[in-house]
Amino acid sequence: MMNTVLYQGLVGISLAMYLWLISAGLTIIFGVLGVLNFAHGSLFMLGAYIAYTLYGMVGLPFGAAVLLSLAVVGAVGFAMERFFLRPLYHVDEAYQLLLTFGFVLVLDDAVKILWGGVFKIPPIPAFLDGAWRVFGRPFPVYNVFLITVGLLVGVVLWFLFERTWWGRIVRATASDREMAAALGVHVPRVFSSVFVFGAMLAALGGALGTPVRVVAPGIGSAMIIQAFIITVIGGLGNLKGAFVGSLIVGVLSAYGTLFFPVFELFFIFVIMAVVLLVRPQGLFGATR
Amino acid sequence: MMRNGAIGRAWLGVRLFTGFLLIFFALLPRFSSTYVVYLTIHILILSLFALGFNLLFGYTGLLSFGQAGFYAVGAYVCARILLVRPSLLLGVVGGMLAACLVSLVVGALSVRHTRIYFSMLTLAFGMIIFSLAWKWRDVTGGDDGLVGIPRAPLVLGPLAVDMTRLDHYYSFVFFLAVLAIWFMYRIVTSPFGLTLQAIRDSEVRASFTGIPVRAHRFWAFVIAGTYAGLAGSLLPPLENTVTPPVAHWTTSAEPVLATLLGGIHSFAGPIVGAFLLFVIKDLIVRVTIHWSIVLGITVIVLVMGFRGGVAGVLAGLFQRVVAVKVSRTPEPIPVGSEGEES
Amino acid sequence: MRRMRWTWAPLGGTVLLLLLFSQAFSAPPQCQLGVPAIKLGVQGVASGPHADYGRQIQMGATMAIEEINAKGGILGCRLEMRFMDDENRPATGVRNARLLVTEYGAHFLYGTDSSGVAMALGPVLKELNRIQFFTHAATHRLTEELVAQQGIKQIVRVSAPVYQDAIAAWVFKDNPAIRRWATIGADYEYGYAVWGLFRETLRKFRPDVEFVGAAWAPFLTTDFTPHISAVMAQNPDAIIATPWAGEAVTLLRQAVLMGVFDKIQVWFQAMGGSVDVLEGIAREVQDGRFKGKLWATARYIHNWPNTQTNRAFVERFQKRWSRLPNYSAETTYSAIYITKAAVEKARSLETDKVLAALRGMQIVTPAGLRVFREEDHQFVYTVPAGRVVWSERYNMPVLGDLRIFDPKDYWRWPPFTPIPMGK
Repeated sequence: MMNTVLYQGLVGISLAMYLWLISAGLTIIFGVLGVLNFAHGSLFMLGAYIAYTLYGMVGLPFGAAVLLSLAVVGAVGFAMERFFLRPLYHVDEAYQLLLTFGFVLVLDDAVKILWGGVFKIPPIPAFLDGAWRVFGRPFPVYNVFLITVGLLVGVVLWFLFERTWWGRIVRATASDREMAAALGVHVPRVFSSVFVFGAMLAALGGALGTPVRVVAPGIGSAMIIQAFIITVIGGLGNLKGAFVGSLIVGVLSAYGTLFFPVFELFFIFVIMAVVLLVRPQGLFGATR
Repeated sequence: MMRNGAIGRAWLGVRLFTGFLLIFFALLPRFSSTYVVYLTIHILILSLFALGFNLLFGYTGLLSFGQAGFYAVGAYVCARILLVRPSLLLGVVGGMLAACLVSLVVGALSVRHTRIYFSMLTLAFGMIIFSLAWKWRDVTGGDDGLVGIPRAPLVLGPLAVDMTRLDHYYSFVFFLAVLAIWFMYRIVTSPFGLTLQAIRDSEVRASFTGIPVRAHRFWAFVIAGTYAGLAGSLLPPLENTVTPPVAHWTTSAEPVLATLLGGIHSFAGPIVGAFLLFVIKDLIVRVTIHWSIVLGITVIVLVMGFRGGVAGVLAGLFQRVVAVKVSRTPEPIPVGSEGEES
Repeated sequence: MRRMRWTWAPLGGTVLLLLLFSQAFSAPPQCQLGVPAIKLGVQGVASGPHADYGRQIQMGATMAIEEINAKGGILGCRLEMRFMDDENRPATGVRNARLLVTEYGAHFLYGTDSSGVAMALGPVLKELNRIQFFTHAATHRLTEELVAQQGIKQIVRVSAPVYQDAIAAWVFKDNPAIRRWATIGADYEYGYAVWGLFRETLRKFRPDVEFVGAAWAPFLTTDFTPHISAVMAQNPDAIIATPWAGEAVTLLRQAVLMGVFDKIQVWFQAMGGSVDVLEGIAREVQDGRFKGKLWATARYIHNWPNTQTNRAFVERFQKRWSRLPNYSAETTYSAIYITKAAVEKARSLETDKVLAALRGMQIVTPAGLRVFREEDHQFVYTVPAGRVVWSERYNMPVLGDLRIFDPKDYWRWPPFTPIPMGK
C-alpha cells in the first residue's frame, strides 16, 4: 500500500513537471507584459508539430529537433509580439487578449492545412525507452527525464531572473515600466525578448511531449485552460507560484484518480475560484 | 439634451431607420425561407446574449469569460420545465429567473475583482457550470444532453398559441427581443447606466463622488446574467435539445466576438455584431471548411485596425455627416488605459 | 520547356475535340425522378483533434458518389454532395442540417461522428422530414430512444452502435485464467455504456469474475499515466479501455512504457481496430511491444470479410485516397449504396416511400450483409474482434486471430431495457 501511494505520487510529480513546462511561459509573459496569452496553447501545439516533423519525418536526432522547434516557435512569437501585440500596448488589455484569441483560431486551422487532420506520433527515442524499477514497479525512463527537465528548467529560470543582467532588467520592467524606461531600459526590446522566451517555453513543452502524446489540431485549446488554472492558483505572473501550482494540480490529479475514481476536473475549477476569491495574488504570491 | 437642427434631423433619421428595421424583421417570415427565419432566431438570441455581456464589458469595463454559464443555466432550466410542463412562457421565464438567481450568487463573489482577475474568476465559475452540465447526469443527461424538449405552446390564460411552426416561434422570440433591447436601452441611458460608464472610465473618480462602485458592478453583472439566461432559455424550444457545449468557455467567446465585431461602445454594437458573426460564418462555411482561419484573421484585423467595430465605424461616418458630436454615442475611449493603476 | 508545351498543344486539342464529340453523340442520361440532381448533405468533424473522422466520412461519400455517377447515377439522376464541418458541436450540427436541407436542398443526410450531435439532430430531422443515415455516432439512445420509443422514423443508422464493444465479453468468457477485469474508461456516456454492457454480459457467463478497478479519463486527456498506474495497482488480469482515436494511441504508448504488457494477459482497446489507431501504434506492434496481448474491434475492419466486394472496395479506396478506409468511410460509402437501392425500389425521393423501401432490406456491402431492423431503424451486421498483429501485406497492423460472433448473441434486441450505466 505504501509503495502504491509513493508510486502514484511520483506519477503525479511527472504530470506536474509537464504542466509546469506549459504554464511557466504563460505566467512569465503575463508577469512582465501584462498580457494573458490565449495563443500560448497554440504555440505549444506548433512546437509539438515542428518537433514531430524534424524528428519523426526528417529524422534529426530528438534533441536537435526540440532545439530547432524552439527556434522556429521563438521566431513566430517574435513576429506576433513585434507586429501585432506591440501596437496594442496602449489600449485596453481586453484587446490584447482578443488578439491572441484570434491567433488561436488561425493557428489551429493552419496546422490542419499544413499537417492534415490525422494525429501524429513519432517513435520513442531510444534513450527515453524502457523503465526503471521504482517502489517495486516499472517507472518509465521518459517520466524520469521529464521530471529532470522540469527541475532543470526551474533552476535555469531562477538563475536567469535572479542572477543575470537580463533578468534584473526584466524584473525591473515588470515592477515598473515607466521607471525602467526612465532609467534607460529599452522597454519594447525587453517585451520582445520576454515574449519570445515565453513562446519558446511553450514550444519546449509541446516538443518534449511528442514521444508519448499524439499531436493533433486543437490540442493547444485543451492545454491552455489547464495552464490558466495553474497560473491562477500560483498567482498570475508569479513564476514560483506556477511551479507550486503545477505540483498541486499534478499530484492532486494523480491521487484523485487513485483514491476517488469519481474525481472530477470540477474540483480543480472550484479550487481555482476559491484561490481567486481568498488570495487573488495566488497561494504563493506576495500581497500587492 | 439640446435638440438643435442637425442633431434633431439626425435622430429623426435614426428613428426612421429603426422603425424600418422593426417592420422588416417583424415581417421577415412572410418573405423569406425557413432557414433564414431559423438563422434570424439565432441572431436574435445571440443579440440578447451579447447585449447583456456588453453592459458588463463596454459599459462597465468588466470582461467576463463565463457568460456561457448563465446562458446554460437558462437553457437547462427551461428544458427541464418544458419536459415536465409544456408551457413556453413558464419555461422561458423560469430559465431566466434561474439564471438571475445564479448570477446573484456568482456576481456577489465575482465583482470583488476587476480586470484580469475578474475574467479568470468568471472563467472558473463558467467552467464549474460546464462541469456540472457534463457530470450531473441525472439532471442534465450527461454529454448526450437533454433531448425531446417540446416547442411548447404559448399559454396566455385561455389562449394557447401553437409554436410548432417556426414562424410562430420566430414572432415570439422577436417580440421578446424587441422588449429586451428596448429595456436595455432604457438601462444604459438611465442614471444607473451613465454611472456604470463613469465607473468604467475612472473607478477612482467615481468612488470620490460617492458612487457605490461595487454595488453598481454587481447589478450590472446580474442584469448581464439575466439577459444571458433569457437568451439561453430561448434555445431549447428552438433546437429541442440542450447539450453541455452551451456552457463551455468557447460559447462564452461568442458574445465577446459579436460585441467586438459590432463595436463595444455603441449601443447597437452587439446586435450588429451578432448579425455579422452569423452571416459571415454562414457565408464562410458554404465555401470552405476552413472557417476558423478566416474568422481568426477577421478578429485580428478588427483588433488591429477597427477597434470601434462595425457599428463604431458607421457611427463615425454618421457623425461626420452631421458634423456634430452626438452626445449619446460616446467616443471610443480605451477602457482602463488611463487613470487607474493596478 | 516552352517549346515542349507547344508540341503537346495539338494533341491536347484533339483529345478535347474528341471528348466534345463523344459528349454530343451520347445522349445525356434522363433523370427519372424529375430533379436536376439528387443532393446529398454530409457532415462530420473536420476540425480539432478528431478531424480525420470527418475526413474519412467525406472520402467514403465522395467515392460512392463518383462510382454511382460513373455508372449513370440513380435512375439516371446524377448525385452531388456538400460536406460540412459539425465541429463536434450539437449547435453547429443542427445548423448544418437545416442549411443542407432548406438552402442546399439535400434530399438525404449522412454522417455525424459524435453522439451528442446525433441526439440533437433527431428532432430536427423529424421537423425537416428528411432521412439521415448515421454512419459513426454510436450511442444506443439514438435508435432505442429516438426511433423505437419516440418514433422519429427519419433516423437510420448504418454503423454498429455501442454494443459492438460488448463483443469483448464473448471473446474472453471462456478463458478461466482471466478473472480480474479493470477499465480505463472515457469519462462520458460512451465509456459508461461500454463498461456497463461489458459487465452485464460477462457476469451472465462468469459469476466468478471480479471488476477490480476503474479509472476515468475526461475527453482530451493527454497524460494517462495516473490512470494506468491507478488501475495497475489493483493487479488486474485484463483491462478494457475506451478512449478512442488519438487518445487511444497516447494511452497505449504510455502503457507500453509503464510495462503494463509484462503484467496483464489481455488489453482490449474498444475502437482500437480503427485505421488511425492502428497506424499510430504501428511501430510498437512491429516491435512486438504488446506481446500479442492487445485486442480490439471497430465498427468495420478493412481485412474482413474476405469477400470480393470488400477486397475490391479496399483496393479502390487505396487507389483513390492512398489510405486505408476507416469504419466511418465504409459506413458512409455503404449508406449511399443503401440509398441507391432504396430509391431505385421506391422510384421516389419522398421520405415515406424511401423508408418503406428500406423495410426488410438485406444488402451486401463491403462490411458484409447488412440487414435492416425495423423496430429501431438499425442496420445489423457482423464485425469481428481480433488480436492486433503486424500485416506484411498492408505494411501496417491489422486485426488477426479473428473471433466472429453472431450479432444476435451480443447486440441488443427489442424490446429494449435500459443499459446499467455508470461508473
